Parts: sequence; structure tokens; C-alpha cells
Amino acid sequence: MITTRESLPLIETVAPADQAAVAEVVRTARDQEKAIYPIGGGSALDYGVCPGVPGVGLSLKNLKRVVDHAVDDMTITVEAGVTMAQLSELLAAQRQRLPVDAVRPGQATIGGVVATGAFGPRRYACGTIRDYVLGLRAVDGQGSAFSAGGRVVKNAAGYDLCRLLVGSLGTLAVITQVTLMVRPQPETSAFLVADLLDFDQAERLLDGLVRTKTLPVAVELLTRRAQQGNPVLGPMVQQSAARLFVGFEGTAGEVEWMVDRLRDQWRELGIAAPIAVAASDAPALWQWLRESDGSAAEVQINVRPGATARLIENLVELDGACSIRAHAGNGVIRLGLPPREPEDFVMFLRGRLRPAVVAARGKMVVRSYPDDVELTAEDVWGPPGDGAAVMRAIKDRFDPDGILNRGRFVF
Amino acid sequence: MNCQSATENVFCELIADRQEDPIELAMLHSPVVRDLRRCLGSRNVLSAPSELEVYDCDGFTLQRHRPDAVVFPRDAAQVAQIVKACQRHAVSVVPRGAGTSLAGGCLPVGGGVVVMLTRMNRIVEIQVRDRMAVVEAGVANIRLNRALAGTGYHFAPDPSSQGASTIGGNVATNAGGPHTLKYGVTVNHVLGLEAVLGDGSIVQLGPVEDPAGLDLIGVLVGGEGTLAIVTKAWVRLTPDPQDYRTLRAVFNTLDDATRTVSRIIAAGIIPAAMELMDQAIISAIEEAFHFGFPLDAGAILIIEVDGPVAGLERQTEQIVEFCRGSGAREVLHAATPEERALLWKCRKSAAGALGRLSPSYFTQDGVVPRTRLPEIIRHILAIGKKYDVRIVNVAHAGDGNVHPVMLVDERDPQQVERAKAAGRELLEECIRCGGSITAEHGIGVEKIELMDRLFAEEDLRAMARVRQAFDPTGRLNPGKVLPPMYNLVAGLK
Repeated sequence: MITTRESLPLIETVAPADQAAVAEVVRTARDQEKAIYPIGGGSALDYGVCPGVPGVGLSLKNLKRVVDHAVDDMTITVEAGVTMAQLSELLAAQRQRLPVDAVRPGQATIGGVVATGAFGPRRYACGTIRDYVLGLRAVDGQGSAFSAGGRVVKNAAGYDLCRLLVGSLGTLAVITQVTLMVRPQPETSAFLVADLLDFDQAERLLDGLVRTKTLPVAVELLTRRAQQGNPVLGPMVQQSAARLFVGFEGTAGEVEWMVDRLRDQWRELGIAAPIAVAASDAPALWQWLRESDGSAAEVQINVRPGATARLIENLVELDGACSIRAHAGNGVIRLGLPPREPEDFVMFLRGRLRPAVVAARGKMVVRSYPDDVELTAEDVWGPPGDGAAVMRAIKDRFDPDGILNRGRFVF
Repeated sequence: MNCQSATENVFCELIADRQEDPIELAMLHSPVVRDLRRCLGSRNVLSAPSELEVYDCDGFTLQRHRPDAVVFPRDAAQVAQIVKACQRHAVSVVPRGAGTSLAGGCLPVGGGVVVMLTRMNRIVEIQVRDRMAVVEAGVANIRLNRALAGTGYHFAPDPSSQGASTIGGNVATNAGGPHTLKYGVTVNHVLGLEAVLGDGSIVQLGPVEDPAGLDLIGVLVGGEGTLAIVTKAWVRLTPDPQDYRTLRAVFNTLDDATRTVSRIIAAGIIPAAMELMDQAIISAIEEAFHFGFPLDAGAILIIEVDGPVAGLERQTEQIVEFCRGSGAREVLHAATPEERALLWKCRKSAAGALGRLSPSYFTQDGVVPRTRLPEIIRHILAIGKKYDVRIVNVAHAGDGNVHPVMLVDERDPQQVERAKAAGRELLEECIRCGGSITAEHGIGVEKIELMDRLFAEEDLRAMARVRQAFDPTGRLNPGKVLPPMYNLVAGLK
């Protein structure tokens, strides 16, 4: 039977007490020619290729210092092991926030969020973690610590190593500390939701959002099967194919105006009775939209925004049991796949899914897959692109012995 | 030659009529030039000293280096040919757009071939549905924005040089501008790049929002042409706001103005732009544009909020309150779109207007944490006095990004030296305040000496590895960004 992968091949796990000790652990592992698997909160252990080589788990859970919260500058510097929930709480006390959604914030650490390049529904207006990292400290594959960036909101000095490390899955260096730009908390939020008959209608509404004078923060398109567990809204009417959630944030006046305006716009597009989700229910909806739906495997597809609805329609035809949550404004599709026998899974991935994505000129990454499935790096990350040789050259210079997260990433 | 404008026509004729006088023959027929002519046709290669002189500096005029040749490619394939030819002859390659760099980013240090990207100026595609435009590197920022007029979208980075500076140059320096306070800098708006690497290979990165692998786009943006030559960009388009409110607040002292900025940010209000101009700048602008600025004001803030009309009044009221509470003697609204446009023209032309105050000037670019703005401005004024250099100030104040402008007479070498020393000290002061030595101009040649003050050795080594990985021979735009010892090809781990 298929189970979700929850562990890495660890010989032992060490949890250094401070940043200097992290460097020591890496040096020791390098000297002993052991692989290192950096671990934050463990909420994304199944991300990337399942590594085959046993190694040392390097837990950053003890790196929990808040180094500096420059409240009036709207920046904060924390160690990598601080969880997203702890960070939110700290910031909320000052009416601030990091507007990047992370799955399982009670568990996910900021170091992990940076290493995996996390994002969520708010990316339509707020971007991803990439857009908030001003500086960081990290330890490379030889155990040498370095800093990148700084703590100002605009900085053009030298190469942007922060961007290089965001999303690099800890394969160039182990992130030990992060400086972030933060934002004021919005006063309130609300959603306008539409049930859609088909994906043509979905595209008409998405196209309408490109021309709206409202400023959505999230544009989420969910298929029928992805509606389960919605804490706020009941099931969709029988004949609808998908549901579109448009989230707004701002002052009460702004949000009210935007909801009203979009409702008018939708009426013209044939949505007679859109559902408004008021401020009181909105937080629960934001939270639900952020989380993954517990599918056996999750695939992320990036396609041009205008091709999103059509591709989702094709995907539903490919596998009627799939569940799709898309950050549709950005052309990001999160495809949840049901359990399959391992061989069937691989065949589906290679023979049907990837060709469909390629035909839509999209890119595809397998975010998580079951333990008993064997996938290659190319299955997971896609064929190497134009930048592969440069990526390899960078990797060789930051981690010449290839000990960091060996076998999990593109190299 | 396929000339595109009257100016270029004249230029083409000049090249066509060029007499290859014997004195210049050696230069004209150097092996690399012969090779380049073969690749591009002789009309697209300049190599006579008299022609090369035009390219011996950019917007940073304190250093000059004459290139060995200047070439005008039409597409990425030609750029690739140029890079390969330069590699064959072991000659440096220096990409250049409009040449507006204020840090010497396109200076051909030690010679080399300057690659002019300005003829690669096609707007390939505007896709409003996908909120994206595809442009060649040589497209001027303003041209893209003019082409977008009426679509409801714009390209958000708006450096003051946008009338001339190219998208390729904006990408190379990670350009900012007044409205980056709300909308972010260039890197936040780049979805894909086509670039020529140091070995002459052409790569396409993106356009995809989430790279599978390392974010090479994020590194190339701000790479100052030292990692690759960007030939095309897929840029994100930003919706035009429904409306604006643009205020100018007049203060008796600079200190009152900078404290206002800090208070507004600390209160959690992030306007679209918050620009500071001091008394000297105001006078120069007033003389040039007759906007109606009070000449006795110590400082003026231009503050703009934008977005849905429903939220604008309240934000504006809050900002006016902060201004008045911090001693603003007058807060006026731009009454019409024309007045708003003129106000921004005044601000963005501030540097140009300074010609009225001084025969030459050079603009610094430093950045501090936002709350340290009052402190850094006080230091800047003190440093001006210490070095006997007249310094006037404009600033993207909301970002803590200061642009002290040093007024000098370039014919007086002592004055120039004093100004350089003052510039250096004020950047050191930015570092001391927890800031950085450039927010948007880049390091170029100008600030290279300060890199090891800002960064530790291991930090610079990490950057050097990235450069090596992209360009192992080190021939792309040498002498920029990293201090010389970090450019050694061998011996770096």
C-alpha cells in the first residue's frame, strides 16, 4: 500500500546549539565523507527526489533566537529554526506580518521555508518568500559560514546570493539565519467565491480579473474534488466543475468596495449569485486554502496564466480522481494525485502527465510522492534546462564534495 | 545597415564615409577587429580612436577607458558570435545599454570590446492576459511603458533615467526608482531572461515563476553584466492603480522632513512613493521648471499613495496628519493629472537641473535602515562641510535610499579628490548605520574599494564562486563588482 514519505535515510540526527556548531557539524561530515540532510520542522521531508545515500540529519530546531526585530524599519532577523507560527506571533504583536503562506506553519521553520522557496495563495499580490529575504547567513558544503545581502530593503551591492539560496533546498549551503522585510497587517479581508459550470467560464472570469480595477490578493481555482473539508462553504452544486476564490485584503472600506465591484463585474459575466465570505470567516478560509489536501502525491505545474484553466480541464480528463488547487492568477497548479500502484504511478507521470504539461508549454515538478515509488531526478524536476551547466558549476563550488542533500535536487 | 531613425541615419552615413587613415590602421585591423567585422559586417564595428572616444565612459565621468572596439549586434546570435570572437582573442567584453550607469558599470577597464545593445530594441510581445511583456535588452524603459499605455498595465521599475536607460541596463543593475517603495525593484518584475554566457552559449531561463533548480534569474539581475550578457527579458506587468493622491509637503528643515518619513513608515503606512528634496535641489528645479516650489523651504517631500479610490482618502488624511505633526508648514495636493505628471517630471529631472548650480556633479547612492534616515542626512551635511564639498540631497526616502549629489568642477582636480573622499566617507557612514553602499546604481568600478568594508572575506569569496561558475575566464565586464583579488580565476575555493 502507498504511504506518504516521512523520513530521510538518516544514520543519526544532530541538533547543534548555535550557528557556529552547525559549521562544525558540516566540517565533520565532510571529513568523514558523510551526506548531510538539513532539517527544519520536517514539514517538507518528502520534497524532492527520495535520497538513496544514508547521511546525518542536521536539525536546526535549536536555532531559535530572534536576533533583531527592527519594528520601525519593518525588518526582522531570526535564526533558521524559528517556526512560521512563532514568527507570525512575534510580528502580529506589532501589527506586522510576513505575507507568505507556508503549509503547516506550526511545524515549518523559516529556514525551511526559505530553502524550499515557499509560497501560497497570497502570491498573486504579495509574491513568494523570494521577495522578502533581505539577508541571510549560511554554512557551505565545506563548513564555511558566510553572509549574503543585508538588512536594508533595497540593496544592489554584489551578487544576490539570497536569491540563489532561496529554493535551493539546502544543496549549496545550510541556512542558519534570515533577515526578512515585513509588511503591515491589513485591517481586514474577505473573499468573493463563484461556482463555475465549466473551465471556459473559469477562463472568462480569470480574464476578467486581469482587467479589474480591484486588487485581488489571491486568485484560487479549485476543482470539485479539492473542495473537501472546506470549513466555510458547503459543497458545490452538482453540475459545477470548479470554484473560484478571490481574496481581498485592506481597510474595511477598500475591501467592501472591491467585493462590490467584482460582484458587479461577475454578474455581467453570468455569475448570478456569487458567495461573499465575510471578515469573520475569511481567516479559516485562508488557512484551508494554504494547506495541502493530503493527496498521495502532489505535482506542481507552472504554465502561463492564460493557459491555466484549459490545462486544468485536461488534467481532470486525464485522471478524474485528481484534486486540483491552483494559484490561477499566477498559472501555478497544485495537482493532487490519488494512490496508485508504483508502476502505474511512474507510467502515468511519464506517459500521460508530463506530455500534457509539455503540450501546454508548462513546467512540472513532483513536490511529493509515495515511498515505494522510484523516480529519477528528471522525473521529479524535469529535463535539465539551459541553465543546467551553470547550476552544476555553482553547486561544485559551494559544495565540492556533494554532501548537502545529496541526490534530492537537480544535481 | 538598417537604420531606424534620423539620428541613426546620420550616424550610419558618418561610418560609411569614414576614411581609414593610416594612423588608425593598426587598430582597425587588429585580429579581434578583423574577426568581429567578419561576424557583423564592418559597418557594425567601430575601431577608430576618434569613434571610440565616445564610449570611454558612461554616466560616471571620473574615470575613462577607451575600448578597443565598439560593436552593434542585432540579435542574441550576433552577441554570441562577439563573445566567442573575444574569447578567441582573449579580449574582454563589456555590455552597454544607454550608458546611464552612475557607477561606471559599462566602463571598458583595460580596453576590450563594448557591446552596444541599443539596436536590439524590439518590443517582441505584450501579453496583457498573462501580465507579461517580452522585450529585447535595448528597449528603453520609457518605450515599454509608452507601448503599454492604454492596456491598464505598466512596467513598475521607474529609475529617474527611464527616459534613456534600457531594460537590459535595468536588469543588470537591478534598477529601482521612486515607486519601488511599494512595487519593488527590477528583480521583482523579471520572469525570464535570455542571455549569452561567457563561453558564447545562449541560454533561456524562464519565463516561469518558480524555477526547477537554482534561481539563476535572481542572480543575473543585478549581476552588472559580469555573469552574462542579457539579450532579452520577460517582464511582469503591474496593474495601473485606479487612482493616485500626490502630495507635496513643505518643511522648514531637512530634519523635520526625514523624521516625518520615519514616522509614516513606523506607523505601518507604505505609500507608493516618498521622495525627499532639499533646498538646493528645490531651487535648481524651480529655476528649470517654474513649478511653484517655495524657494525658502528647507525640504520638500513628494508623497504618493495609489490604489482603489475607496482607500485613498483615509491614507491621505493619515499622511497629512503625520506631516503636520512633524512640522510641515504646508501640504498641497496635486490637483490634476497634469500637475502630478509635472511634479514627477520635476523630481526625476532633479539631477539634470543641477547643471544650473555647478559645471559637473556626481550622484552617490547609499542606503540605510529606514529609521536612520534623519541620522544619515545629518552626517551627509557634516561630511560636506568637512571636505568643503557642496552636497545637495534627493532621496527615495521611504526606502532609506539617499542620493547625495556632489557639486564639483571637474577641471579642479583637488575638488574632485575632495568629493571622492566625501563620497567614500558617507558610504562608510551608511555601512556604520547598518546599510549598504548601493541601493540601485550598482557597484561598477566606483564602489569596488568599499566592497570589503561591507562584506567579509568569506562573503566575497562566495560571490566570486558564482562569478567563476558563470564566466570561468573572467572576460565579461572585468574590473566591476568584486575587488581584484576575488577575480583570480585560480586558487579560489
